[in-house]
Amino acid sequence: MTQNNTDFDAIVVGSGMSGGMSAKELTERGLKVLVLERGPEIIPERDYSDQLTPWQTPNFDNIPQDEIAQHYPKQYGGVAYAIKESTKHFWVKDDEHPYEEAEGTSYDWLRGYHTAGRSIMWSRQTYRLGPQDFTANLEEAVGVDWPVRYEDIVPWYEKVERFIGIAGSEEGLSQLPDSVFQPAFALTDAENAFKQRVEATFNGRKIIPARVAHLTDATDEQRALGRSNCQARNRCHHGCTFKAYFSSLNATLPAAQRTGNLTMVHNAIVQGLDYDAASNRVTGVRVVDARTNETRSYTSRVVFLNASAIASAMILLQSKSDAFPTGLANRSDQVGRNLMDHVSSAGVSGIMTGFEDKTVFGRRPGGIYIPRYANVTENDKPFKRGFGFQGGALPLGNAGGQIAGIGREFKEAHRRPGPWRINVLAFGEQLPNPDNRITLHPTKRDRWGNPLALFNVTYGENERIMQREAVKDAVAMFEAAGVINITTSNAELSKPGNRIHEMGTVRMGRDPETSVLNGWCQAHDVPNLFVTDGGFMASSACQNPSLSYMAFSARAANYAADLIAAGTL
Amino acid sequence: MKTRREFIQSLIVSVGGATALSACGGLATINATSAGSSRFYSTSEMALLGRLSDLIIPRTETPGALDANVPGYMDALMSDWANEETRGEHREALQLIAARLDAATGNFLDADETTATSALTELDAAAFDGDASLAGYRRTKGYIAQSYFATEAGAVQELKWVAVPGQWDPSVEIAREA
Repeated sequence: MTQNNTDFDAIVVGSGMSGGMSAKELTERGLKVLVLERGPEIIPERDYSDQLTPWQTPNFDNIPQDEIAQHYPKQYGGVAYAIKESTKHFWVKDDEHPYEEAEGTSYDWLRGYHTAGRSIMWSRQTYRLGPQDFTANLEEAVGVDWPVRYEDIVPWYEKVERFIGIAGSEEGLSQLPDSVFQPAFALTDAENAFKQRVEATFNGRKIIPARVAHLTDATDEQRALGRSNCQARNRCHHGCTFKAYFSSLNATLPAAQRTGNLTMVHNAIVQGLDYDAASNRVTGVRVVDARTNETRSYTSRVVFLNASAIASAMILLQSKSDAFPTGLANRSDQVGRNLMDHVSSAGVSGIMTGFEDKTVFGRRPGGIYIPRYANVTENDKPFKRGFGFQGGALPLGNAGGQIAGIGREFKEAHRRPGPWRINVLAFGEQLPNPDNRITLHPTKRDRWGNPLALFNVTYGENERIMQREAVKDAVAMFEAAGVINITTSNAELSKPGNRIHEMGTVRMGRDPETSVLNGWCQAHDVPNLFVTDGGFMASSACQNPSLSYMAFSARAANYAADLIAAGTL
Repeated sequence: MKTRREFIQSLIVSVGGATALSACGGLATINATSAGSSRFYSTSEMALLGRLSDLIIPRTETPGALDANVPGYMDALMSDWANEETRGEHREALQLIAARLDAATGNFLDADETTATSALTELDAAAFDGDASLAGYRRTKGYIAQSYFATEAGAVQELKWVAVPGQWDPSVEIAREA
């Protein structure tokens, strides 16, 4: 028992990207913290598969086709690049964790249930939001105004960045502010040529090394956690024995553990939060054991929801009471609404000539990034907001047998780097729309009796026009850079959810009538309830969001700790 | 020293259950076994696949496809990974390939090295010059190449694949690499 006669000072629901950071900050402030993880424990020595060689992974590490059809139709359809025979245990089986889609809509809910959540499988692209991202809603009268500004979050970006480690280059761009960096993964010769030609042709556009959460000059603090520099294997989706990329399991959870203040419980699926109207507080967290179906409750002074934007909203919707008949902290009716992701469409690729005498060594875990320029340095766009491109230029290399010839010549052709291929893919901002929402399915339940999520999400005209323009821009940049054999895959928009950046379902705002959280990620309606996963995002910006989730988590955790220390929470 | 024909024949009986995924400790390992016959391929299919593999990726200064047990790898691929549709497509492809090569040589498996090489070279050229009816050949060739380069011999000895590069060098002169 804590001094307040609760089991813990704080309960953090979820151990992924944001939950790990919440737990670290709260425990480092001396609070006794329980982390509830709905999935099983990941033990790196047993569960990481990054040390397996190609000849130790049968069938090219592919999951059998019938098994995909039975268990992973959604997950594999969304992330075939990451879900392999030796990594499939990091992803949910769709038949065991179903969800529903409103008629005429489709949603990719791509996820894993285990220690550290998707921080194990993420693609590690790490960018700050810029000042423009916090004011765009206000200026354009879209959604609600962010109750914070860029300057408010800068110290927390810096704190998180020093801890997690980011490889990147200082560029001095206002719309994509520099982080605290370790050395970047340098551009290839073809990428440097592309950079020079594009930047000379398009004033204001920049080609920079992707910013990725990999150690390239590990600090003493990082080494003390057993982390070391990236070995350029690009086996990240298998886990990393070197702990070179950031995950909760590699960094924040061990940091929380060493304080002696962390209790972690696995296989604990939160079914709802108990609410006491008299004190206006969350008084308990009800869980069901995923393996035994036993139910139990935990108590704490403060609760942090870090279950992911979708699951945290579901928990609130499931927590009904007389005071909150439509779900806890949902007086605004915004819980579950404004679900956003980033939107992509056609990738653009082509061949760069002139580099046939060059190759690379090592397998870089990132590539290039083209920061947003639309409505930043170029203001003639037929759409709101903007997009960034991710991509890279590398030797095409082993053609997988798809080149002509047999015998020695064919065999040895695979040693040569081959032509250099360049590709880019736009990640665009999705505007908040209250009609894009998740609700509790009225009748369908999962095996633990919890309502299924019902998704009703579609992209709007702004996303369509933006992606059409993004593809045109990419082709124009390729042509200016002398790229040949330019191809685009297809013009369809990515499925909502497919970029795995879901956010916005419990948005923060200034007005309790129109938003769920205040600027500290604290529920307007219930002061000891915080949500610091992607749910708080009032707009999506176009940058990969994990860094922002962690910065807001660290800020909220320290705010909550301040309130507890002051005796006001 | 076995002749190439004997080597192919011996494969037919040696690749059975050629690969098995060991579940212990998360360390997946491909275990070639010598027991029984192949799990997926018929005797004639295995003979054809052996000859194709050998001609497409022969032994040079480094091991060839037969040395690396590519037919065994593919037997496991078809048994353990492929669904019925993929298996059917692959079987059809092998039948088509056999028919085309037998038509060109009289009997592809019995043809001498020069004749067989010539016929396969011609078929391969057609497949990569837009002959859509040979899509199955291209897929089969892809399986052979991918299988070979996924073996330790193909990856390490031929491709010089390095498990832990330790560093990223974005600009390597080809001559320096060689």
